[in-house]
Amino acid sequence: MDASILIWMVLAAMMAVMLYTFIGFIPGTDETSVLLPISLALVLSGVEPIIILTFFIASIVTLNLTNTMPTALVGLPGGVMSSAMIEHSIHIKATGKAAETIKKMAAASFIGVLISVPVSLTLAHLLTPFAETIQPFAPWLFIIGAVFLSLISRQKLLSLFSILPLAMLFQSLRHLYWGLNVVPENTTITVSFFLGITIGPLLFTLFRLLNKDTLKSALISSDKTITLPKDIQEKRLNPFKILDKEERKHLSIGALIVNALFVLSPVGLTILIGETIGKRFKNRDDNARMSVITMSGVIQATYLSGIIIPLLALGIPLSPVALGPGAALFNAPPVLTLDNNLHHMLGFGEFTLAVVLGALIALSISYVLISRHAKTITRFILDHIPHESVLALFIAFILLLAFMDAGLINIFGVLLIGLFCGALNKMGVNYGVQFMSLYAAPHLLNLIVGGF
Amino acid sequence: MSKNRIEIWGDTVNPKELVLSILIISTTTMSAHLIAPADNRTMGLFFGLGGAVLGFLITVKLFKPKRIIQEEEEV
Repeated sequence: MDASILIWMVLAAMMAVMLYTFIGFIPGTDETSVLLPISLALVLSGVEPIIILTFFIASIVTLNLTNTMPTALVGLPGGVMSSAMIEHSIHIKATGKAAETIKKMAAASFIGVLISVPVSLTLAHLLTPFAETIQPFAPWLFIIGAVFLSLISRQKLLSLFSILPLAMLFQSLRHLYWGLNVVPENTTITVSFFLGITIGPLLFTLFRLLNKDTLKSALISSDKTITLPKDIQEKRLNPFKILDKEERKHLSIGALIVNALFVLSPVGLTILIGETIGKRFKNRDDNARMSVITMSGVIQATYLSGIIIPLLALGIPLSPVALGPGAALFNAPPVLTLDNNLHHMLGFGEFTLAVVLGALIALSISYVLISRHAKTITRFILDHIPHESVLALFIAFILLLAFMDAGLINIFGVLLIGLFCGALNKMGVNYGVQFMSLYAAPHLLNLIVGGF
Repeated sequence: MSKNRIEIWGDTVNPKELVLSILIISTTTMSAHLIAPADNRTMGLFFGLGGAVLGFLITVKLFKPKRIIQEEEEV
């Protein structure tokens, strides 16, 4: 490899840090919606695979670290993942310990990355020999995955019953577009359907407000009051010293366990592990502190293992992270397909280099930045970025990607998906089940029609 | 104070300004996308994302956040 690629990798990681530090601090920015369009743009522009991977790893490490900041400081979740810790964060804020705790959270996030990178690379390496055996069964794995994710979710029956209708919705739109000659028959639309699922809950909420009576009853008169905690004088930066022994132990165990559970939903895992460890502490203050610290580390580990293991070992998006935010690394026609993606293009050495470099650069810059300036950045964002702009930006992303996939008609196709999936989401069918159903749809319906 | 706020996703917005923001950013995004070279998917996406950023900045200038921010008192 020549030096210029290495320089580009470093630059890509630094660009990812700058971009996602800003995005991470904006409350309510959904991870998938902000990670997917940009990684997709990079892939389609023909950037070297190794640079794309470096950029992506730096993006998720930065985003997962910065997203927890508005959550802890002002009680507005920075993204979907940090919504898991909102209750504990509000308690910590109420006891006046927010400023102190965010340093601990950042340190925990740091340690989570340090644990997860080597562990998931090792797990991926161990899984690789089985890849050729597993790959031909990919269509089956998506079906099994959809059923599995339903069975471990809180709403088992509801999720199970949703799989087929979801699959039918996706396939009927694809066949409609083929039938109307909107896209050629060898084009399978995925990306915009995917974002339709992601933005579903927002579309559903906004659509309901088009009903005048619903809107009238939802109107309130006051702005949101937000309290910023006062600063504390903590100058230390060493993450191992900021956390005490007990905190380090619990968060390390949590971050270690989730690597092996990469096929499960990252939000679900974060809640499960964080709450389980938090519950060991009976005092409400300790319970909240230990939960958010563990969660900060676990969030990093779920994302890193969820992208590293399926991509390095299999090349098939078999985890919710790979199916969601990381989708463009697996499947972004015409540049990447399920038979020819980053898995096939990068060797183990290149892969490891990209992951380690991306993670280290992101960690070192964003960790220092956050430990010193979390409050200043939060204050700036809250003072200047209206929530309207953020919501509208998401809608515009969806419009653009829907239009690019299949023209004007697909804008309404994605609206249809968003409304249906958003409604299911509000009822309790999680994203994982919905994403898995999208991938399982073609094979599942062939089975239903053609028999086993 | 008149009732002209709604709470969406844990934060307050003015419905009229939300609709305007959606219109503005969608317009800049799609216009930028449509002036990109038609046969190039990558340029189309880049132009579109650029338009989205432009629209975002316009709405940030036009509208103010609906938040009351207080600093915590010294204990």
